[in-house]
Amino acid sequence: MILLQTENRIINDTLLYKFENAAAGNKHETTEMNIADFDSVTYRLSNPEGDKTHLLLSISLKFWEQLQEHGALDVLQRVYGSYLQSSAEDGYNVSLLFDLNSLPADVKALATKAALLKRNCFASVFETFFEAQAKGLSMKQAVIPYRDDETMYVEAKKDRVTVIFSTIFRDESDVTFGKVFMQEFKEGRRRNQTGPQVLYCHGNPPQELEGHNAAVGDNIGYVTFVLFPRHTAPNARDNTIDLIHMFRNYLHYHIKCSKAYMHQRMRAKTSEFLKVLNRARPEEKNKEKKTFTGKTFQSR
Amino acid sequence: MSSTLKPYLNAVRTTLDAAMCLGNFNSQVVERHIKPEVEVKTSKELLLTPAVIARNEKEKVLIEASYNSIRVSIAVKQADEIEEILCQKFMRFMMMRAENFVILRRKPMKGYDISFLITNFHTEQMLKNKLVDFVIHFMEEIDKEISEMKLSVNARARIVAEEFLKRF
Repeated sequence: MILLQTENRIINDTLLYKFENAAAGNKHETTEMNIADFDSVTYRLSNPEGDKTHLLLSISLKFWEQLQEHGALDVLQRVYGSYLQSSAEDGYNVSLLFDLNSLPADVKALATKAALLKRNCFASVFETFFEAQAKGLSMKQAVIPYRDDETMYVEAKKDRVTVIFSTIFRDESDVTFGKVFMQEFKEGRRRNQTGPQVLYCHGNPPQELEGHNAAVGDNIGYVTFVLFPRHTAPNARDNTIDLIHMFRNYLHYHIKCSKAYMHQRMRAKTSEFLKVLNRARPEEKNKEKKTFTGKTFQSR
Repeated sequence: MSSTLKPYLNAVRTTLDAAMCLGNFNSQVVERHIKPEVEVKTSKELLLTPAVIARNEKEKVLIEASYNSIRVSIAVKQADEIEEILCQKFMRFMMMRAENFVILRRKPMKGYDISFLITNFHTEQMLKNKLVDFVIHFMEEIDKEISEMKLSVNARARIVAEEFLKRF
């Protein structure tokens, strides 16, 4: 699996199971699940007030305020329509209510749509900027601290939209691996003319972030995506949003996979060395000592 | 580049052959103890002159010998940052398993990446020529392994970038 899935697998599978159960007319079970996702996002799937015929799915994002500023609620209203609750559950930002007795015919699509809740929250920011660029306006930068020490900056100019991710590498060797990976991303354009332009700055923020108090440090990297109209056009928009918002997790996931692979190789090589070393030990000859009459010596 | 490899390894092999003539020697400092003299260095008369065999500035082997023990330190070629990290990780991985390895030292000497400590007990238990074979084999394999790991990282990076960008 090279690409990370956009939807939340747990939610997708659980909801599908519940919906199919309900559709088959089986007895409803009580649900109470706390689910975590990338970027410190938590979900809660429960029965509101013990009502087993309804399922309440709530999401909590740390950076909900910033998303709201960019019209997240409008997008969610558009996608989820009647399922969206006007006031979210306590301690969460958005809630969706599903009535198990009145489900649409295609439950699979509904489950998938619900599993994309996090992605749709993000989508609002991107869509606003894509619209602005399509109209030829330039917009002020959006600053979204989507993780504790990491921020995402989105800006629209006349002919492009730039998305800048700041990412922190907690481990020393991650920095080097990150550099190797980003080098390949930078050159990816040569092979794929369709892709966006990717730039990478290590340590210091790029020029566009001047005046933003962006973090500086040896273990911090800034990745800039330059999205051209062909990526932000209405037909390509959804795909672009899917890929871009998962980028940081994608990168770190593959860095960790590389390290795991290295570890596997080192383990294999070490045992090979041990085998070679053991060749240096002469074989023990297990001589049985016998007397002339045939009695065997026993060692105590 | 590899034209210097064979003479380098030959030089290391002959030096090790000559230096690995070890015999038992009780400690002259503490009664009833036997210490590897090359580590404690208490009696100067037991130590031989250390020899450095260098292929170039970055790659060299330091061989310090004494009456009952020999210490071989290897500096591995590290061309760039990623090779440095891979080498560091690999050496650390092996040194943590030094007990299994018997002849490996848990910490490398200053300026080198990995060190072996071979005592007379090891040469009594194991065949001397095979020990020398092992050290030479080790030096060859490390280089190969590090460049293979680096290639795999680069290949993975290329595939990751391609997969991502081709979706646009």
